[in-house]
Amino acid sequence: MIALYAIALGAPDGLAGARGEPLRRLPWGAMTLLAGDAPLPLSAETLRAHEAAVRRIAEQSEACLPARFGAAAESDDALVKAMRAREGELLDALRLVRGREQMTLRIHGSPVPAAAGAGGTGYLEQRRREQRLPALDPLRAALDGTVRAERIEPHTEAGLLASVYHLIDRGAAPRYAQIVRETPLGDLRAVVTGPWPAWSFAPEVARS
Amino acid sequence: MKRRELTPAEQIVEHADASLLEIIDHVLNKGVMIRGEVMLGVAGVDLVYLRLEALLCASDKLLSKGEE
Repeated sequence: MIALYAIALGAPDGLAGARGEPLRRLPWGAMTLLAGDAPLPLSAETLRAHEAAVRRIAEQSEACLPARFGAAAESDDALVKAMRAREGELLDALRLVRGREQMTLRIHGSPVPAAAGAGGTGYLEQRRREQRLPALDPLRAALDGTVRAERIEPHTEAGLLASVYHLIDRGAAPRYAQIVRETPLGDLRAVVTGPWPAWSFAPEVARS
Repeated sequence: MKRRELTPAEQIVEHADASLLEIIDHVLNKGVMIRGEVMLGVAGVDLVYLRLEALLCASDKLLSKGEE
């Protein structure tokens, strides 16, 4: 059993996995699959070790799509076979994240109540607009030219409205964080972390 | 009565700090998966998923309290 750590462009030799083991580079077209020993069991320490290994890959490669903790295959051949059906999608994603990294915003605040009387299509359209969080538009305007792509994940927990994931150029994190700090968001509160490898910009599932 | 030992997933949920919660969201919730392959060592991970939003929300409240 082998663990997948990342799919990368321009990954160097000498990278290490969560146990410190040398990662094997499996060439696959223009891409490289980075594989290590079998996945470690779930614990706080192994989650941190997996994140650190992916971070090292991302920092030293041109482009890196992180693999989720626990992604594993029986063999190198099985791993490549599992990826094959998604080659185009993975390449597109690698081109998007090349030379970039991710910032994460947790948006806290009270949800805007839905307007009464909106039914059917109108309701769905309204929900779509709400999930895009128009209250963040002033921040989007301030970050214009800094953010290259955005993903939003709405939440249902009271007080936590959404997670917003932004792709920025490498090295732009200090400027990004300063803009977030200095942009008023009314009743909303944005907690920023990063830079991260581009976890939220990887296609989620490679079908075997 | 002797308390049973917490599972690894329960230990993570009980003791996670803000930085670990951020790592959990990225490392367990995001990234490339391999469908049809074994997800080794991830038994109980559903519990972490279920609690993650609440924990992220709570960690912000703790943070806010510390800043006051």
